[in-house]
Amino acid sequence: METIINVNNLCKTFKIHKRGTGFKGAVKNIFHPTYEYKKAVNEVSFSIKEGEMVGFIGPNGAGKSTTVKMLSGILYPDSGDITVAGYIPHKQRKEYVANIGVVFGQKSQISWDLSPLDSYEVIKHIYKIPDKKYKENLERFSELLDMGKFINQPVRQLSLGQRMRADIAAALLHSPKIVFFDEPTIGIDVVGKDKIRKFIKTLNQTDNITMIFTTHDMQDIEKTCERLIIIDDGKKLYDGSLENVKKGYVSSRIIEAEFESLPITLDLPHTEITDVENNAMKKLISFNTDEVSVNELMTALMSTHNIKDVSIREPEIDAIIRDIYEGKIVMN
Amino acid sequence: MKDIISLFFAYARTGLKTRFQYKLDSVISTFAVFFREAAGIIAMYLALLKFDTINNWNIDELLFLFSLIFITYGIFIVFFMALRDFSDWIKHGVFDRVMLRPRGLLTQLVLCGADWLAAFGHGTLGIILFIISANRVGIEWNFGMAVYYIVVVISGVLIQGAVFLFFSAISFYVVETNSLKEIFYWNMRKFAIYPLSIYNKFIQSILIFVVPFAFVNYFPAQFFLRKADMAAYPEWMMYISPIVGVGLYALAYAFWRFSLRYYKSAGN
Repeated sequence: METIINVNNLCKTFKIHKRGTGFKGAVKNIFHPTYEYKKAVNEVSFSIKEGEMVGFIGPNGAGKSTTVKMLSGILYPDSGDITVAGYIPHKQRKEYVANIGVVFGQKSQISWDLSPLDSYEVIKHIYKIPDKKYKENLERFSELLDMGKFINQPVRQLSLGQRMRADIAAALLHSPKIVFFDEPTIGIDVVGKDKIRKFIKTLNQTDNITMIFTTHDMQDIEKTCERLIIIDDGKKLYDGSLENVKKGYVSSRIIEAEFESLPITLDLPHTEITDVENNAMKKLISFNTDEVSVNELMTALMSTHNIKDVSIREPEIDAIIRDIYEGKIVMN
Repeated sequence: MKDIISLFFAYARTGLKTRFQYKLDSVISTFAVFFREAAGIIAMYLALLKFDTINNWNIDELLFLFSLIFITYGIFIVFFMALRDFSDWIKHGVFDRVMLRPRGLLTQLVLCGADWLAAFGHGTLGIILFIISANRVGIEWNFGMAVYYIVVVISGVLIQGAVFLFFSAISFYVVETNSLKEIFYWNMRKFAIYPLSIYNKFIQSILIFVVPFAFVNYFPAQFFLRKADMAAYPEWMMYISPIVGVGLYALAYAFWRFSLRYYKSAGN
């Protein structure tokens, strides 16, 4: 398949006004402004093929959103090249954006006081979507996203999950070739998240739409993407298959347990007990499911201790990034 | 062009629909705008009754001068509302969405920002003032004059649009521009209510060269009224409002385009 997105040595630096503290600092600042330069995106390169679905992850402030904003033509890069679908986004904005759709999880594009359908009518005009295509797309998305019940209701009366579904449909009405999802599941309940993920995956498969998905929810990526790009501190840290990362993190788990009495001893290899701040009775037990099964661990714990409360933690992105830095996950 | 007009109406329809979600609020706010501005005019009217004339302008001529500010502003907020409040558009990330749509940026901003109800408030007041004063100042209207009146109204809208286009461009660098607007627009507008000739040279030159409100109402009004105080200025100044309007707008547009690359977009 052909390459549709090509990014080469992309850089973007933000100048941040450093404010002094207190009155003295504020006065000094007027006469002697000091600036700090933050490299939000630092020499990032990658390419994405048509129809691919790529997860773009990293902690907050890593540079994901800045990269997506440059890819979608909102921001000018300081240096480096971007070509998407044959366009240079920041130079050919008007022609280019007709080919893409963007969903911001935190900024809705449909009007708060109107029904989704009212907003879609305006979108139809803006994108000059032919009547027939508009009708087809609307019917199809309305069914796939189960919007029939609320498509005529003012957005302010919708749940967050419903609003997000309406927003996703809005970004797809003009049949874009590439869709950027920026945190599309943020704040949505489990059922809602699942509906959205399923829809995104279906659409990627049936319509061959190229998709880029930024999130810090690992579940989002796991349920949708095969390829992963991890960004940290403006730099690309990992670019490869999800499988490869999964091998490392799927088997590592943390159990959070609250005990009724101290001390806590555990006579099992490959496990590690760490303290939790502010609560002496609570401990974190990290282990690897390849070495110790949950069953074994729990049995060992329960036979010697009284446990008040227990929960298993999913590994988070931070843990994966740490593993990459420590060389436990290698790019393939 | 047909396409632009249909887009304009699509925006207008949804804009009005949005406002009429809150019918009572909309009606009240329209009246509020009307009465707020009318109260200002009545206060001025009462003050002027004491003076009889200001620099030889009688009350009706002053109202004629004033009506141009209101009529141009009424039209201005139909087309330039988004530029007037542009820093908010940047802060709330609305401008990101504008950039993601396959239409000209200014086309979208100009077409979609209209505050119809406030425009209705200002515009009605301007038209009432115009009808009252134009009848009493003794203008002998002919076709040419009517056309020139429309031309100067358009020019006045463009001049104010250009001023806000400059402020919008500055928003790309510093985001917050409210105090600039306060000094260079709202204060200047207060000066422009009275004939230019009553001010000292410094304020006059600001109103002519920096924020050219003189070309929104004073010089165009002189074309119709031919007051004696026009002798202090070259006569051709009565005719160049359209040139000032188009020229200033072109300049502001060039600066806006240049500044766009410094747009930083608000974080999430």
